[in-house]
Amino acid sequence: MMLTPAIILLVIFVLIPIVYGFYLSFHRWDGFNSPEFIGTRNYIRLIERDDVFLKAVTNTIIFAISVVLVKNLLGLFLALLVNQKIKGVIFFRTALFLPVTLSFVVIGLLWSWIYNPTFGLLNAGLELLGLDGLIRAWLSDQATALGAIITVDIWKWTGFHMVLFLAGLQSIPKDLYEVAIIDGASAWTRLTRITLPLLAPVTFISVLLSLNGAFVRNFELVFVMTDGGPNHTTEVVLTHLVTQAFRFGKLGYASAMGFALFVVVAVIAFTYIRIGRSGTYNF
Amino acid sequence: MASAAGHKNPDIFSDLFSKHFSGRLKLLLVYAILIIATVQTIYPLFWMVFGSLKTDADLFNNVWGPPRTMIWQNYIDAWRIADLGARIGNSIIITALSLTVLLIVSSIAAYALARLQFPGRQAIFLIILATMMIPPEVTVIPLFIVVRTLGILNSRFGLVFVYAGTSMAFSIFLLRGFFMSIPPELEDAALVDGANRLQVFWYVVLPLARPGLATVAIFQGMFFWNEFFLAFIFIRQAELQTIPLGLVNFFYRYSADWTLYFAALSMVTIPVIVLYVGMQRWFIEGLTAGAVKS
Repeated sequence: MMLTPAIILLVIFVLIPIVYGFYLSFHRWDGFNSPEFIGTRNYIRLIERDDVFLKAVTNTIIFAISVVLVKNLLGLFLALLVNQKIKGVIFFRTALFLPVTLSFVVIGLLWSWIYNPTFGLLNAGLELLGLDGLIRAWLSDQATALGAIITVDIWKWTGFHMVLFLAGLQSIPKDLYEVAIIDGASAWTRLTRITLPLLAPVTFISVLLSLNGAFVRNFELVFVMTDGGPNHTTEVVLTHLVTQAFRFGKLGYASAMGFALFVVVAVIAFTYIRIGRSGTYNF
Repeated sequence: MASAAGHKNPDIFSDLFSKHFSGRLKLLLVYAILIIATVQTIYPLFWMVFGSLKTDADLFNNVWGPPRTMIWQNYIDAWRIADLGARIGNSIIITALSLTVLLIVSSIAAYALARLQFPGRQAIFLIILATMMIPPEVTVIPLFIVVRTLGILNSRFGLVFVYAGTSMAFSIFLLRGFFMSIPPELEDAALVDGANRLQVFWYVVLPLARPGLATVAIFQGMFFWNEFFLAFIFIRQAELQTIPLGLVNFFYRYSADWTLYFAALSMVTIPVIVLYVGMQRWFIEGLTAGAVKS
Protein backbone atom coordinates (compact mmCIF):
# COMPACT_ATOMS: atom_id res chain seq x y z
CA MET A 1 0.00 0.00 0.00
CA MET A 2 1.17 3.49 -0.79
CA LEU A 3 0.99 4.69 2.80
CA THR A 4 3.06 1.91 4.37
CA PRO A 5 6.54 3.51 4.31
CA ALA A 6 5.20 6.77 5.73
CA ILE A 7 3.28 4.98 8.48
CA ILE A 8 6.33 2.92 9.46
CA LEU A 9 8.49 6.03 9.75
CA LEU A 10 5.79 7.92 11.67
CA VAL A 11 5.27 5.04 14.09
CA ILE A 12 8.98 4.46 14.76
CA PHE A 13 10.15 8.05 15.01
CA VAL A 14 7.07 9.89 16.27
CA LEU A 15 4.40 7.73 17.88
CA ILE A 16 6.52 5.14 19.72
CA PRO A 17 8.73 7.86 21.26
CA ILE A 18 5.66 9.66 22.62
CA VAL A 19 4.24 6.53 24.27
CA TYR A 20 7.63 5.21 25.34
CA GLY A 21 8.54 8.58 26.84
CA PHE A 22 5.37 8.48 28.93
CA TYR A 23 6.33 4.99 30.15
CA LEU A 24 9.92 6.01 30.95
CA SER A 25 8.80 9.03 32.93
CA PHE A 26 7.55 6.70 35.70
CA HIS A 27 10.89 4.93 35.99
CA ARG A 28 14.35 5.48 37.33
CA TRP A 29 16.77 4.53 34.58
CA ASP A 30 20.43 5.03 33.76
CA GLY A 31 19.95 3.81 30.19
CA PHE A 32 21.74 0.48 30.68
CA ASN A 33 20.31 -1.58 33.56
CA SER A 34 16.62 -2.42 33.57
CA PRO A 35 14.29 0.51 34.39
CA GLU A 36 12.93 0.59 37.95
CA PHE A 37 9.30 1.65 38.39
CA ILE A 38 9.01 4.55 40.85
CA GLY A 39 5.47 5.84 40.20
CA THR A 40 5.13 9.61 40.04
CA ARG A 41 8.31 10.33 41.96
CA ASN A 42 10.06 11.91 38.96
CA TYR A 43 7.21 14.39 38.57
CA ILE A 44 7.06 15.13 42.30
CA ARG A 45 10.77 15.75 42.34
CA LEU A 46 10.51 18.10 39.35
CA ILE A 47 7.98 20.26 41.11
CA GLU A 48 9.19 20.07 44.69
CA ARG A 49 12.92 19.65 44.71
CA ASP A 50 14.47 20.78 41.46
CA ASP A 51 15.14 24.52 41.72
CA VAL A 52 16.99 24.56 38.41
CA PHE A 53 13.94 23.07 36.69
CA LEU A 54 11.69 25.78 38.09
CA LYS A 55 14.15 28.42 36.91
CA ALA A 56 14.25 26.71 33.52
CA VAL A 57 10.46 26.72 33.29
CA THR A 58 10.30 30.42 34.14
CA ASN A 59 12.96 31.23 31.57
CA THR A 60 11.30 29.08 28.93
CA ILE A 61 8.00 30.90 29.46
CA ILE A 62 9.66 34.33 29.41
CA PHE A 63 11.48 33.35 26.23
CA ALA A 64 8.33 32.00 24.56
CA ILE A 65 6.10 34.97 25.37
CA SER A 66 8.67 37.59 24.39
CA VAL A 67 9.64 36.02 21.09
CA VAL A 68 6.05 35.37 19.99
CA LEU A 69 4.99 38.93 20.79
CA VAL A 70 7.99 40.82 19.47
CA LYS A 71 8.60 38.78 16.30
CA ASN A 72 5.00 39.23 15.21
CA LEU A 73 4.65 42.89 16.14
CA LEU A 74 7.98 43.85 14.56
CA GLY A 75 7.25 41.64 11.56
CA LEU A 76 3.89 43.35 11.02
CA PHE A 77 5.43 46.79 11.46
CA LEU A 78 8.18 46.09 8.92
CA ALA A 79 5.68 44.50 6.52
CA LEU A 80 3.64 47.72 6.54
CA LEU A 81 6.82 49.62 5.69
CA VAL A 82 8.02 47.36 2.87
CA ASN A 83 4.53 47.10 1.40
CA GLN A 84 4.89 50.58 -0.02
CA LYS A 85 5.89 51.48 -3.52
CA ILE A 86 9.16 53.16 -2.69
CA LYS A 87 12.60 52.91 -4.24
CA GLY A 88 14.80 50.06 -3.04
CA VAL A 89 12.00 48.20 -1.34
CA ILE A 90 13.09 44.85 -2.83
CA PHE A 91 16.55 45.37 -1.40
CA PHE A 92 15.12 46.01 2.07
CA ARG A 93 12.91 42.92 1.90
CA THR A 94 15.81 40.72 0.77
CA ALA A 95 18.16 42.04 3.42
CA LEU A 96 15.68 41.80 6.28
CA PHE A 97 14.84 38.19 5.42
CA LEU A 98 18.49 37.12 5.26
CA PRO A 99 18.98 35.92 8.88
CA VAL A 100 16.14 33.39 8.39
CA THR A 101 18.42 31.38 6.13
CA LEU A 102 21.29 31.11 8.61
CA SER A 103 21.58 28.38 11.23
CA PHE A 104 21.13 28.93 14.96
CA VAL A 105 24.72 27.83 15.49
CA VAL A 106 26.12 30.39 13.06
CA ILE A 107 23.92 33.10 14.51
CA GLY A 108 24.57 32.08 18.11
CA LEU A 109 28.34 32.12 17.65
CA LEU A 110 28.26 35.39 15.73
CA TRP A 111 26.15 37.09 18.37
CA SER A 112 28.18 35.78 21.27
CA TRP A 113 31.10 37.58 19.65
CA ILE A 114 29.01 40.69 19.09
CA TYR A 115 28.25 40.64 22.83
CA ASN A 116 31.89 39.87 23.70
CA PRO A 117 33.21 42.42 26.22
CA THR A 118 36.70 42.78 24.71
CA PHE A 119 36.17 42.87 20.93
CA GLY A 120 32.39 42.83 20.64
CA LEU A 121 30.58 45.00 18.13
CA LEU A 122 27.84 46.00 20.57
CA ASN A 123 30.05 47.60 23.21
CA ALA A 124 32.14 49.26 20.52
CA GLY A 125 28.97 50.66 18.99
CA LEU A 126 27.75 51.95 22.35
CA GLU A 127 31.09 53.63 22.94
CA LEU A 128 30.88 55.25 19.54
CA LEU A 129 27.46 56.65 20.40
CA GLY A 130 28.76 57.93 23.73
CA LEU A 131 26.64 55.48 25.71
CA ASP A 132 29.57 54.17 27.75
CA GLY A 133 27.32 53.68 30.75
CA LEU A 134 25.54 50.80 29.03
CA ILE A 135 28.71 48.84 28.28
CA ARG A 136 28.77 45.47 29.99
CA ALA A 137 29.57 41.77 29.52
CA TRP A 138 26.11 41.05 28.13
CA LEU A 139 26.18 37.27 28.33
CA SER A 140 27.88 36.85 31.68
CA ASP A 141 25.80 39.51 33.40
CA GLN A 142 22.88 37.81 35.14
CA ALA A 143 20.64 40.80 34.50
CA THR A 144 21.06 40.82 30.73
CA ALA A 145 21.98 37.28 29.61
CA LEU A 146 18.46 35.96 28.96
CA GLY A 147 17.36 39.17 27.24
CA ALA A 148 20.47 39.07 25.07
CA ILE A 149 19.61 35.57 23.86
CA ILE A 150 15.94 36.42 23.29
CA THR A 151 17.05 39.38 21.17
CA VAL A 152 19.06 37.05 18.93
CA ASP A 153 16.10 34.73 18.35
CA ILE A 154 13.98 37.75 17.42
CA TRP A 155 16.75 39.02 15.15
CA LYS A 156 16.77 35.71 13.29
CA TRP A 157 13.03 35.36 12.73
CA THR A 158 11.52 38.85 12.35
CA GLY A 159 12.16 38.88 8.59
CA PHE A 160 10.23 35.63 8.23
CA HIS A 161 7.14 37.07 9.90
CA MET A 162 7.56 40.26 7.89
CA VAL A 163 7.28 38.28 4.67
CA LEU A 164 4.24 36.37 5.95
CA PHE A 165 2.46 39.61 6.83
CA LEU A 166 3.55 41.15 3.56
CA ALA A 167 1.89 38.31 1.65
CA GLY A 168 -1.24 38.94 3.70
CA LEU A 169 -1.17 42.68 3.03
CA GLN A 170 -0.79 42.14 -0.70
CA SER A 171 -3.86 39.92 -0.80
CA ILE A 172 -6.11 42.70 0.53
CA PRO A 173 -8.06 44.25 -2.37
CA LYS A 174 -6.89 47.81 -3.04
CA ASP A 175 -10.38 49.14 -3.79
CA LEU A 176 -11.37 48.62 -0.14
CA TYR A 177 -8.92 51.36 0.76
CA GLU A 178 -10.06 53.58 -2.10
CA VAL A 179 -13.66 53.36 -0.94
CA ALA A 180 -12.60 54.02 2.64
CA ILE A 181 -10.64 57.09 1.57
CA ILE A 182 -13.62 58.44 -0.36
CA ASP A 183 -15.70 57.91 2.77
CA GLY A 184 -13.14 59.98 4.64
CA ALA A 185 -11.73 57.24 6.86
CA SER A 186 -8.45 58.22 8.51
CA ALA A 187 -5.29 56.17 8.09
CA TRP A 188 -5.71 54.82 11.61
CA THR A 189 -9.31 53.79 10.94
CA ARG A 190 -8.23 52.03 7.76
CA LEU A 191 -5.51 50.18 9.65
CA THR A 192 -7.79 49.01 12.44
CA ARG A 193 -10.99 48.47 10.43
CA ILE A 194 -9.64 47.06 7.16
CA THR A 195 -6.04 45.93 7.38
CA LEU A 196 -5.94 44.18 10.73
CA PRO A 197 -9.26 42.30 10.40
CA LEU A 198 -8.38 41.11 6.90
CA LEU A 199 -4.94 40.06 8.11
CA ALA A 200 -6.52 37.75 10.69
CA PRO A 201 -5.82 34.50 8.78
CA VAL A 202 -2.16 35.38 8.25
CA THR A 203 -1.82 36.59 11.83
CA PHE A 204 -3.25 33.29 13.00
CA ILE A 205 -0.62 31.32 11.10
CA SER A 206 2.23 33.66 11.91
CA VAL A 207 1.52 33.42 15.64
CA LEU A 208 1.01 29.65 15.41
CA LEU A 209 4.38 29.17 13.75
CA SER A 210 6.21 31.30 16.28
CA LEU A 211 4.34 29.56 19.10
CA ASN A 212 5.22 26.11 17.79
CA GLY A 213 8.94 26.49 18.28
CA ALA A 214 8.84 29.00 21.12
CA PHE A 215 9.19 26.42 23.90
CA VAL A 216 11.85 24.18 22.35
CA ARG A 217 13.74 26.02 19.59
CA ASN A 218 15.77 27.77 22.26
CA PHE A 219 18.29 24.99 22.88
CA GLU A 220 20.83 25.92 20.21
CA LEU A 221 21.18 29.57 21.12
CA VAL A 222 21.42 28.87 24.85
CA PHE A 223 23.82 25.98 24.35
CA VAL A 224 26.13 27.95 22.08
CA MET A 225 25.96 31.31 23.81
CA THR A 226 25.83 30.65 27.57
CA ASP A 227 25.27 26.92 28.18
CA GLY A 228 22.57 27.91 30.66
CA GLY A 229 24.70 30.25 32.72
CA PRO A 230 25.47 32.46 34.47
CA ASN A 231 24.03 30.74 37.54
CA HIS A 232 21.20 29.14 35.48
CA THR A 233 19.77 32.54 34.50
CA THR A 234 19.48 31.34 30.90
CA GLU A 235 18.69 27.69 31.64
CA VAL A 236 15.70 26.46 29.63
CA VAL A 237 13.84 23.18 30.03
CA LEU A 238 15.54 21.56 27.06
CA THR A 239 19.09 22.38 28.20
CA HIS A 240 18.29 21.10 31.68
CA LEU A 241 16.77 17.95 30.18
CA VAL A 242 19.84 17.25 28.06
CA THR A 243 22.19 17.85 31.00
CA GLN A 244 20.22 15.49 33.25
CA ALA A 245 20.02 12.80 30.59
CA PHE A 246 23.41 12.86 28.93
CA ARG A 247 25.68 14.25 31.65
CA PHE A 248 24.12 12.54 34.69
CA GLY A 249 22.50 9.54 33.01
CA LYS A 250 19.04 10.21 34.49
CA LEU A 251 17.00 9.10 31.52
CA GLY A 252 13.77 8.47 33.43
CA TYR A 253 13.91 11.87 35.09
CA ALA A 254 14.69 13.59 31.79
CA SER A 255 11.78 11.72 30.19
CA ALA A 256 9.45 13.17 32.80
CA MET A 257 10.66 16.63 31.85
CA GLY A 258 10.22 15.83 28.19
CA PHE A 259 6.72 14.54 28.71
CA ALA A 260 5.75 17.62 30.72
CA LEU A 261 7.06 19.75 27.87
CA PHE A 262 5.14 17.63 25.37
CA VAL A 263 1.89 18.17 27.26
CA VAL A 264 2.44 21.92 27.49
CA VAL A 265 3.29 22.27 23.79
CA ALA A 266 0.38 20.04 22.72
CA VAL A 267 -2.19 21.77 24.94
CA ILE A 268 -1.11 25.24 23.81
CA ALA A 269 -1.09 24.29 20.12
CA PHE A 270 -4.47 22.59 20.19
CA THR A 271 -6.13 25.26 22.31
CA TYR A 272 -4.80 27.89 19.97
CA ILE A 273 -5.97 26.05 16.87
CA ARG A 274 -9.38 25.47 18.43
CA ILE A 275 -9.78 29.15 19.25
CA GLY A 276 -8.56 30.11 15.79
CA ARG A 277 -11.00 27.71 14.21
CA SER A 278 -13.98 29.11 16.07
CA GLY A 279 -12.89 32.60 15.05
CA THR A 280 -12.56 34.05 11.61
CA TYR A 281 -10.14 31.52 10.23
CA ASN A 282 -10.95 28.05 9.02
CA PHE A 283 -8.05 25.78 9.79
CA MET B 1 6.13 58.05 -5.18
CA ALA B 2 4.28 57.57 -1.95
CA SER B 3 4.76 61.15 -0.90
CA ALA B 4 3.69 62.65 -4.21
CA ALA B 5 0.68 60.41 -4.58
CA GLY B 6 -0.59 61.51 -1.19
CA HIS B 7 -4.19 60.52 -0.74
CA LYS B 8 -4.48 58.55 -3.95
CA ASN B 9 -2.03 55.97 -2.65
CA PRO B 10 -3.99 53.25 -0.86
CA ASP B 11 -0.98 51.98 1.13
CA ILE B 12 -1.77 52.23 4.78
CA PHE B 13 1.49 53.18 6.28
CA SER B 14 2.42 55.90 3.89
CA ASP B 15 -0.29 58.20 5.16
CA LEU B 16 -0.58 57.02 8.73
CA PHE B 17 1.27 60.15 9.75
CA SER B 18 -0.11 62.34 7.03
CA LYS B 19 -1.84 64.63 9.49
CA HIS B 20 1.37 65.37 11.30
CA PHE B 21 4.05 65.31 8.66
CA SER B 22 4.43 66.51 5.13
CA GLY B 23 4.94 63.82 2.48
CA ARG B 24 8.66 64.33 2.14
CA LEU B 25 9.31 64.14 5.87
CA LYS B 26 7.19 61.00 6.13
CA LEU B 27 9.15 59.31 3.36
CA LEU B 28 12.35 60.29 5.13
CA LEU B 29 11.09 58.70 8.33
CA VAL B 30 10.16 55.46 6.53
CA TYR B 31 13.61 55.29 4.96
CA ALA B 32 15.31 56.05 8.27
CA ILE B 33 13.54 53.14 9.96
CA LEU B 34 14.21 50.75 7.08
CA ILE B 35 17.86 51.71 6.89
CA ILE B 36 18.37 51.23 10.63
CA ALA B 37 16.62 47.85 10.49
CA THR B 38 18.70 46.78 7.50
CA VAL B 39 22.01 47.93 8.96
CA GLN B 40 21.44 46.05 12.19
CA THR B 41 20.54 43.01 10.11
CA ILE B 42 23.45 42.92 7.70
CA TYR B 43 26.24 44.82 9.42
CA PRO B 44 26.94 41.88 11.79
CA LEU B 45 27.58 39.76 8.70
CA PHE B 46 30.01 42.28 7.23
CA TRP B 47 31.64 42.46 10.64
CA MET B 48 32.04 38.69 10.59
CA VAL B 49 33.83 38.84 7.24
CA PHE B 50 35.97 41.77 8.42
CA GLY B 51 36.97 39.80 11.50
CA SER B 52 37.89 36.79 9.42
CA LEU B 53 40.56 38.79 7.58
CA LYS B 54 42.06 40.61 10.55
CA THR B 55 45.10 39.98 12.68
CA ASP B 56 44.43 39.39 16.38
CA ALA B 57 45.66 42.88 17.23
CA ASP B 58 43.47 44.39 14.53
CA LEU B 59 40.45 42.48 15.86
CA PHE B 60 40.89 43.84 19.36
CA ASN B 61 41.94 47.41 18.55
CA ASN B 62 39.88 48.10 15.46
CA VAL B 63 36.64 46.53 16.55
CA TRP B 64 34.02 47.71 14.11
CA GLY B 65 35.98 48.77 11.04
CA PRO B 66 37.27 46.79 8.04
CA PRO B 67 40.64 44.99 8.31
CA ARG B 68 43.79 47.09 7.92
CA THR B 69 45.60 44.27 6.16
CA MET B 70 43.94 41.19 4.70
CA ILE B 71 45.10 37.95 6.33
CA TRP B 72 43.88 35.30 3.88
CA GLN B 73 45.92 32.72 5.76
CA ASN B 74 43.11 32.70 8.38
CA TYR B 75 40.89 30.92 5.88
CA ILE B 76 43.50 28.28 5.06
CA ASP B 77 44.20 27.59 8.75
CA ALA B 78 40.54 27.52 9.75
CA TRP B 79 39.61 25.19 6.89
CA ARG B 80 42.34 22.77 7.95
CA ILE B 81 41.90 22.89 11.74
CA ALA B 82 38.09 22.80 11.69
CA ASP B 83 38.24 20.04 9.06
CA LEU B 84 35.56 21.91 7.16
CA GLY B 85 35.83 19.81 4.00
CA ALA B 86 34.67 16.67 5.80
CA ARG B 87 31.92 18.54 7.64
CA ILE B 88 30.59 20.13 4.47
CA GLY B 89 30.63 16.69 2.85
CA ASN B 90 28.64 15.21 5.73
CA SER B 91 26.10 18.03 5.63
CA ILE B 92 25.62 17.59 1.89
CA ILE B 93 25.19 13.81 2.19
CA ILE B 94 22.81 13.99 5.14
CA THR B 95 20.70 16.80 3.71
CA ALA B 96 20.47 15.17 0.28
CA LEU B 97 19.60 11.72 1.61
CA SER B 98 17.07 13.05 4.12
CA LEU B 99 15.35 15.06 1.41
CA THR B 100 15.31 12.08 -0.95
CA VAL B 101 13.73 9.78 1.63
CA LEU B 102 11.32 12.46 2.77
CA LEU B 103 10.18 13.51 -0.69
CA ILE B 104 9.65 9.98 -1.99
CA VAL B 105 7.84 8.62 1.06
CA SER B 106 5.75 11.69 1.82
CA SER B 107 4.68 12.42 -1.76
CA ILE B 108 3.40 8.86 -2.25
CA ALA B 109 1.55 8.96 1.06
CA ALA B 110 0.17 12.43 0.39
CA TYR B 111 -1.12 11.31 -2.98
CA ALA B 112 -2.89 8.32 -1.44
CA LEU B 113 -4.49 10.56 1.18
CA ALA B 114 -5.53 13.09 -1.45
CA ARG B 115 -7.04 10.73 -4.00
CA LEU B 116 -7.73 7.20 -2.81
CA GLN B 117 -10.66 5.97 -0.73
CA PHE B 118 -9.79 3.37 1.87
CA PRO B 119 -10.80 2.52 5.42
CA GLY B 120 -8.92 4.47 8.10
CA ARG B 121 -8.05 7.31 5.76
CA GLN B 122 -9.57 9.98 8.00
CA ALA B 123 -7.95 8.51 11.12
CA ILE B 124 -4.50 8.46 9.55
CA PHE B 125 -4.90 12.01 8.38
CA LEU B 126 -5.96 13.16 11.85
CA ILE B 127 -2.91 11.52 13.43
CA ILE B 128 -0.69 13.26 10.89
CA LEU B 129 -2.37 16.60 11.66
CA ALA B 130 -1.92 16.10 15.38
CA THR B 131 1.73 15.05 15.30
CA MET B 132 2.59 17.94 13.01
CA MET B 133 2.39 20.26 15.98
CA ILE B 134 4.73 18.20 18.16
CA PRO B 135 8.37 19.18 17.76
CA PRO B 136 10.80 16.19 18.00
CA GLU B 137 12.73 17.95 20.77
CA VAL B 138 10.15 16.99 23.40
CA THR B 139 10.55 13.27 22.75
CA VAL B 140 14.30 13.30 22.39
CA ILE B 141 15.06 10.81 25.20
CA PRO B 142 12.77 7.99 24.00
CA LEU B 143 13.78 8.80 20.43
CA PHE B 144 17.39 8.35 21.46
CA ILE B 145 16.57 4.92 22.93
CA VAL B 146 14.65 3.90 19.80
CA VAL B 147 17.57 4.90 17.58
CA ARG B 148 20.04 3.11 19.86
CA THR B 149 17.89 -0.04 19.86
CA LEU B 150 17.77 0.01 16.06
CA GLY B 151 21.58 0.16 16.06
CA ILE B 152 21.71 3.36 13.99
CA LEU B 153 23.09 5.69 16.64
CA ASN B 154 26.18 7.53 15.50
CA SER B 155 25.56 6.98 11.81
CA ARG B 156 24.59 9.26 8.94
CA PHE B 157 21.95 6.73 8.05
CA GLY B 158 20.34 7.03 11.50
CA LEU B 159 20.21 10.81 11.38
CA VAL B 160 18.72 10.69 7.89
CA PHE B 161 15.82 8.56 9.12
CA VAL B 162 15.31 10.67 12.23
CA TYR B 163 15.12 13.78 10.03
CA ALA B 164 12.81 12.20 7.46
CA GLY B 165 10.61 10.56 10.12
CA THR B 166 10.14 13.64 12.27
CA SER B 167 9.34 15.96 9.37
CA MET B 168 7.12 13.47 7.57
CA ALA B 169 3.80 14.74 8.94
CA PHE B 170 4.32 18.32 7.87
CA SER B 171 5.50 17.34 4.44
CA ILE B 172 2.57 14.97 3.85
CA PHE B 173 0.13 17.65 4.95
CA LEU B 174 1.62 20.21 2.60
CA LEU B 175 1.79 17.93 -0.43
CA ARG B 176 -1.69 16.55 0.15
CA GLY B 177 -3.05 20.07 -0.18
CA PHE B 178 -1.06 20.48 -3.35
CA PHE B 179 -2.28 17.25 -4.94
CA MET B 180 -5.87 18.07 -4.08
CA SER B 181 -5.58 21.31 -6.04
CA ILE B 182 -4.65 19.40 -9.22
CA PRO B 183 -7.76 18.64 -11.33
CA PRO B 184 -8.44 14.86 -11.26
CA GLU B 185 -9.59 14.72 -14.91
CA LEU B 186 -6.01 14.36 -16.14
CA GLU B 187 -5.43 11.32 -13.98
CA ASP B 188 -8.76 9.80 -14.95
CA ALA B 189 -7.79 10.03 -18.62
CA ALA B 190 -4.51 8.22 -17.95
CA LEU B 191 -6.29 5.57 -15.88
CA VAL B 192 -8.79 4.96 -18.68
CA ASP B 193 -5.82 4.52 -21.04
CA GLY B 194 -4.67 1.62 -18.86
CA ALA B 195 -2.02 3.21 -16.64
CA ASN B 196 -1.95 2.03 -13.04
CA ARG B 197 -2.01 4.33 -10.01
CA LEU B 198 1.74 4.46 -9.51
CA GLN B 199 2.32 5.24 -13.19
CA VAL B 200 -0.28 7.99 -13.03
CA PHE B 201 1.40 9.34 -9.92
CA TRP B 202 4.86 9.26 -11.45
CA TYR B 203 4.14 10.50 -14.97
CA VAL B 204 1.12 12.75 -14.52
CA VAL B 205 0.87 14.02 -10.96
CA LEU B 206 4.48 14.56 -9.88
CA PRO B 207 5.43 16.77 -12.84
CA LEU B 208 2.39 18.94 -12.11
CA ALA B 209 3.26 19.10 -8.42
CA ARG B 210 6.78 20.39 -8.98
CA PRO B 211 6.20 23.72 -7.19
CA GLY B 212 4.90 21.81 -4.15
CA LEU B 213 7.91 19.53 -4.13
CA ALA B 214 10.20 22.54 -4.48
CA THR B 215 8.53 24.16 -1.48
CA VAL B 216 9.10 21.07 0.66
CA ALA B 217 12.67 20.74 -0.61
CA ILE B 218 13.57 24.32 0.24
CA PHE B 219 11.70 24.42 3.55
CA GLN B 220 13.01 21.10 4.84
CA GLY B 221 16.39 21.19 3.06
CA MET B 222 17.15 24.42 4.83
CA PHE B 223 16.04 22.89 8.13
CA PHE B 224 18.21 19.78 7.71
CA TRP B 225 21.23 21.80 6.60
CA ASN B 226 21.01 24.06 9.66
CA GLU B 227 19.82 21.53 12.22
CA PHE B 228 21.92 21.19 15.37
CA PHE B 229 19.95 19.68 18.25
CA LEU B 230 19.13 16.24 16.82
CA ALA B 231 22.54 15.95 15.16
CA PHE B 232 24.14 16.78 18.52
CA ILE B 233 22.19 13.99 20.22
CA PHE B 234 22.56 11.32 17.54
CA ILE B 235 26.06 11.95 16.14
CA ARG B 236 29.03 11.91 18.50
CA GLN B 237 31.84 10.76 16.21
CA ALA B 238 33.94 13.63 14.86
CA GLU B 239 34.19 12.16 11.34
CA LEU B 240 30.41 12.13 10.97
CA GLN B 241 29.72 15.64 12.21
CA THR B 242 27.73 18.11 10.13
CA ILE B 243 28.69 21.76 9.74
CA PRO B 244 26.83 23.10 12.81
CA LEU B 245 28.32 20.38 15.04
CA GLY B 246 31.77 20.93 13.59
CA LEU B 247 31.60 24.68 14.21
CA VAL B 248 30.62 24.21 17.84
CA ASN B 249 33.35 21.62 18.25
CA PHE B 250 35.96 23.87 16.68
CA PHE B 251 34.87 26.74 18.85
CA TYR B 252 35.20 24.76 22.06
CA ARG B 253 38.53 23.13 21.20
CA TYR B 254 40.63 26.12 20.25
CA SER B 255 39.51 28.76 22.62
CA ALA B 256 41.61 31.74 21.60
CA ASP B 257 41.93 31.72 17.81
CA TRP B 258 39.26 34.33 17.32
CA THR B 259 40.18 35.33 13.79
CA LEU B 260 40.07 31.66 12.75
CA TYR B 261 36.57 31.33 14.20
CA PHE B 262 35.49 34.32 12.16
CA ALA B 263 37.05 32.73 9.08
CA ALA B 264 35.35 29.37 9.67
CA LEU B 265 32.00 31.06 10.22
CA SER B 266 32.44 33.17 7.08
CA MET B 267 33.29 30.13 4.99
CA VAL B 268 30.09 28.31 5.89
CA THR B 269 27.91 31.42 5.80
CA ILE B 270 28.97 33.15 2.60
CA PRO B 271 27.87 30.30 0.27
CA VAL B 272 24.45 30.23 1.95
CA ILE B 273 24.09 33.98 1.54
CA VAL B 274 25.17 33.82 -2.11
CA LEU B 275 22.70 31.01 -2.75
CA TYR B 276 19.95 32.95 -1.00
CA VAL B 277 20.59 36.21 -2.85
CA GLY B 278 20.76 34.35 -6.16
CA MET B 279 17.55 32.42 -5.56
CA GLN B 280 15.77 34.75 -3.16
CA ARG B 281 12.38 34.42 -4.82
CA TRP B 282 12.55 30.65 -4.40
CA PHE B 283 13.71 30.96 -0.83
CA ILE B 284 11.13 33.50 0.26
CA GLU B 285 8.27 31.83 -1.60
CA GLY B 286 9.36 28.34 -0.56
CA LEU B 287 9.73 29.20 3.08
CA THR B 288 6.57 31.24 3.38
CA ALA B 289 4.40 29.07 1.13
CA GLY B 290 5.53 26.15 3.26
CA ALA B 291 4.18 28.02 6.22
CA VAL B 292 1.05 29.54 4.75
CA LYS B 293 -0.20 26.41 2.99
CA SER B 294 -0.32 24.67 6.34
